[in-house]
Amino acid sequence: MNHSEAVERMTSERYLLNELTPDVRDAFEEHVFDCQECALDLRAGALFVREAKVHLPDVVASDARSGRSKAKGKRTSRFSWWRPAFAVPAFAALLILVGYQNFVTFPALRHSANEPRLAPLATLRSATRGAARPTFTADRTHGVALPVDLVIEPDMAPAASYSFDLRSPQGKLVWTGSLPATAPGADSEQSFSLAIPGGMLESGAYSLTVTSVTAQGGRTPIEQYNFDIVMTN
Amino acid sequence: MNAAHARRPHRASPRQCRSRAKSPRPICFQSPTPAEILYPSLPMAGQALQFYSFDAKYVEDLCAGDSQTQEHFVSYFTALLRIKLRSRLQSFHAIEDVCQETFARVLQVLRKDGGLRQPESLGAFVNNVCNHVLFEYYRSSSRSESLDAEGAPEPAATGADVLDIVSARQIKENVLVILMRLSKRDRSLLKAIFLDERDRDEVCQEFGVEREYLRVLLHRAKQEFKVEYVKHIGNQVSLSTDT
Repeated sequence: MNHSEAVERMTSERYLLNELTPDVRDAFEEHVFDCQECALDLRAGALFVREAKVHLPDVVASDARSGRSKAKGKRTSRFSWWRPAFAVPAFAALLILVGYQNFVTFPALRHSANEPRLAPLATLRSATRGAARPTFTADRTHGVALPVDLVIEPDMAPAASYSFDLRSPQGKLVWTGSLPATAPGADSEQSFSLAIPGGMLESGAYSLTVTSVTAQGGRTPIEQYNFDIVMTN
Repeated sequence: MNAAHARRPHRASPRQCRSRAKSPRPICFQSPTPAEILYPSLPMAGQALQFYSFDAKYVEDLCAGDSQTQEHFVSYFTALLRIKLRSRLQSFHAIEDVCQETFARVLQVLRKDGGLRQPESLGAFVNNVCNHVLFEYYRSSSRSESLDAEGAPEPAATGADVLDIVSARQIKENVLVILMRLSKRDRSLLKAIFLDERDRDEVCQEFGVEREYLRVLLHRAKQEFKVEYVKHIGNQVSLSTDT
């Protein structure tokens, strides 16, 4: 074994860790007795291991003790939020929130869901037929109700339902819905009413696209209504 | 000018020392010894670390009884022999017996005319003699029971002066500092390997590390320790501290 081999293979460390086969061990020892650098290296390593063995029991025991006290501290801190100083204000806030929801929010929602509403009526004209863009005034309380008259062309495939897509002034799809179509052979016009709550309205240009959906799932856009909304509040 | 005086190391820069590497004279590498650090007013207290080159002059001085050469020879090879023999012999007394027998045979051969044809291979010669002595020891110990107490702790070193004690204490403190810089996991790993003497593969599996991690861990700690050790070795402390 030469010096570079001994260094590259960390043979000194392997020797101290007792990892060498007898042949390699003998070869390394033969080299060490000849090479003063490796001899110094081995002597340093052996002395380190020897002294480490003296210190390690106390050091590792101390590590174990500090580990236990840290775990205890961690357990203490994990349950620290149960302490009254923190828990009482947290529960109080939670109680207020639950109370508000039960006594204010939910009754208001039930009220608005169960009572008739008045809303200004406006007539939409089809943009595909060249009608001018109408402007509707709305407020947050009442919203707006839009009657939609669909004209059904005779050569159109009978629709099973109609799909409605409402886009905001930003062009974003803010609502989509569908209604079943009336039976075939009925009037060439079909009328719907679209009520838009004030809470989702903003001033700007909206568009409503109506798509005919056949029983087989085929979709055909049939109408587009463009209108402007002006909010009064 | 006697031989001892000629051998006294002198202050030289590391560059000068390296340029003399090929000459038969001792290669000097000087670092302040603990004595020089503690007692700077003392002239040349303690020896400097020397990488002696084993040559004809060295062997000649050894055979002639030059005290400095003999002291170096014994301390240098005792350290290596003890490391070698610790992995093979359990008893401290057996280790010492083999060491002493090895030295006796080596010196006997060296003192013969033409005893060692290649002085440069003095190290290899010592190793070979040790192997022979060890082989004979195995043979003789298999025939008779050893009277030595196996596994008995090494007797404490005697005769250490205050500088030896200070140096030994610094070594111990340095090892402790190095250990405390390691992570808890690494400390537990070293304890499991060297103190508990558990199976390496089992320990590596338990700690989730490779064998290479162990070697690198030991290598780094050893390299860090070597810086202090080189200072220590300049002061030839009692052998029990070194090995």
